[in-house]
Amino acid sequence: MPNSRDFLRCSALAALLFTYIGFLLGAEEELSIAAYLLCGAGVVIALVLFDVFSAIERLVQANETFWQVLMLAGTLALIAVFHQDHYTLFLIGTIFIYSVAVLGINVQLGYAGVINFSGASFFGIGGYTAAVFLQNTSIPGSLTLPLGGLFAAVIGSLLLLPVLRTSGHYSALVTMAFALLMKVFLEVSEWLGGPQGLSLPPLEFMGINFAEDIVIMGKECSFYVKYDMVCLALLVLAFVFVRRVERSWMGLAMDAVRIDETAAACFGVNVTRWKITAFTMGNFVIGMAGALYAMMLSYINPSNFTFSDSLLFLSILLLGGIGSIWGVIAATAFMVVIPEKFQVVQEYRYLIYSAMVLAMILFRPSGLLPRKPRSYAMGGRS
Amino acid sequence: MNKVLFSCEGLTMKFGGLTALNRLDLGIDEGDILGLVGPNGSGKTTFFNVVTGIYRPTEGRVFFDGKDITGASSQTVFEAGIARTFQRSRLCLELSIFDNIMIGNFKRHDLGFVSNIFRRKTFQKTCEEEVEKAIELIRLLNPELVGSIHKPVADLSMIDRRRIEICRALIGKPKLLFLDEPSAGMTHDETNQLMDEILAMKSDERQLTIVLIEHEMGIIGKVTTRCAVLNFGEKLCDGTYQSIVENPLVQEAYLGREVTEDEV
Repeated sequence: MPNSRDFLRCSALAALLFTYIGFLLGAEEELSIAAYLLCGAGVVIALVLFDVFSAIERLVQANETFWQVLMLAGTLALIAVFHQDHYTLFLIGTIFIYSVAVLGINVQLGYAGVINFSGASFFGIGGYTAAVFLQNTSIPGSLTLPLGGLFAAVIGSLLLLPVLRTSGHYSALVTMAFALLMKVFLEVSEWLGGPQGLSLPPLEFMGINFAEDIVIMGKECSFYVKYDMVCLALLVLAFVFVRRVERSWMGLAMDAVRIDETAAACFGVNVTRWKITAFTMGNFVIGMAGALYAMMLSYINPSNFTFSDSLLFLSILLLGGIGSIWGVIAATAFMVVIPEKFQVVQEYRYLIYSAMVLAMILFRPSGLLPRKPRSYAMGGRS
Repeated sequence: MNKVLFSCEGLTMKFGGLTALNRLDLGIDEGDILGLVGPNGSGKTTFFNVVTGIYRPTEGRVFFDGKDITGASSQTVFEAGIARTFQRSRLCLELSIFDNIMIGNFKRHDLGFVSNIFRRKTFQKTCEEEVEKAIELIRLLNPELVGSIHKPVADLSMIDRRRIEICRALIGKPKLLFLDEPSAGMTHDETNQLMDEILAMKSDERQLTIVLIEHEMGIIGKVTTRCAVLNFGEKLCDGTYQSIVENPLVQEAYLGREVTEDEV
């Protein structure tokens, strides 16, 4: 438990943060959204310039567990506030799922340095796996999640040989080729619905039908509240998993491989083993996220999983800070909310994404919330 | 007589038309500190790279501790008991001191999924023990570094980085240590200090055998028990420091030949 001063500081910070996010999510007029965004950007830049940002980082780092609890509570509060708003709840769920997917990319690129330009393809494999199993079998919805992960990991292993035999740009090209191949395959495959895609039956889980609205404590709630809860649970699981990978000998071995393969090999690190491990684990996580995304959308087609989406995953990672878990979540929220809220820019969103990534690389190359030196303990440094 | 720990016979490394090592024969006894000297480009670092599996030798054989390790992978060579440092420091700069040292210690770590992800309590305990071991090792070289063991290596001075590199090579308890110009980028005093530290460590670990690449002859004379001189990939001679310094071939390689009157 933090001391009372840190307790108050952390709570106040979290309250401010979530009030801001709440107002941003609730805003409907484009002018007010623009005002909120400008305010937010101004505050962040001021905090960074006046070195308050690093003080906040230290505070959060010292009270890690408490901060995580606060973030969870704040998120639940947001869901409670928007309990009837289908659209906002859907956005929140999308943020959770995309965060999980980018955490998968983070294990691959951020830890082991294996570049993956086909993130959206593995996301799609997870989604299509869920759709096929839910349509054709009586497997419960909860099981289709790990199945989606499994299929993504297994199909991803087809790519292992070419990815491991090449390096740098060439292995990036291999994954790009796979992404394009996958898209074409989905479009022409009769069995997977071709360009029309597949629809998924409503998810049933522990006797709860996910397509019906529910009443919680006398309040009528959107059915998306249920999806948000499942998405949040998956995000928490992915968070804990990726954190533990990072703070273990596995994470260290992957870092060693990423930074200097030759030196790592001279210290007995099995470079191939760690690249395979990271790639497969990452794809599993991405596949699980894809399966849940398909269930939440209840209808998927190839245009949900294009090469641009793969680029979006990578941009989120760059923007948030490569290797930084909180950075991934923050950047995902940003990248998902902006184009949705700002319909004017919807058409130009890839332009805006690339401008932001360029600005980040120029002015803050380690990302919005850079990765911290490793501590092996959970729950904050003493 | 001491037992021969390492030997190579006819070791040759060709890069296209360039012969970086030419039929090198070398034997190292257990407990020796062998100084490897020679002008720039004479094949000293290539020798390290060939032995530690970064390059595959074109010809020749390498034996270590009774085993044939010719052309073995870097990983196998390390597991057999040869650790090294690099001429241009190859630490992971953004990782902490502790992380960097632990990279040399994977031989002893359980890298399995279950013990790393699920048994966090046990993991935490081994981790704390490892911190103790790393601190013990750092204390031998520079006690001031103990306090910043969880800080990134990027913040350290050159000499401290070298120290961490040596710690990383030593924590896995190798039988043979290759030091590739540990003095590069350091002042004369710093080099002397580092060498004293290496000698002090050597007296602790009698079994340790060291091969040292070094340009400063004063240092070579001070710390080595034997020397070998390379020039254009060939061994000119080997023996005690005194014998190689007096060898006319070595003087010629380093200083050039006296010009005879006919040539003028």
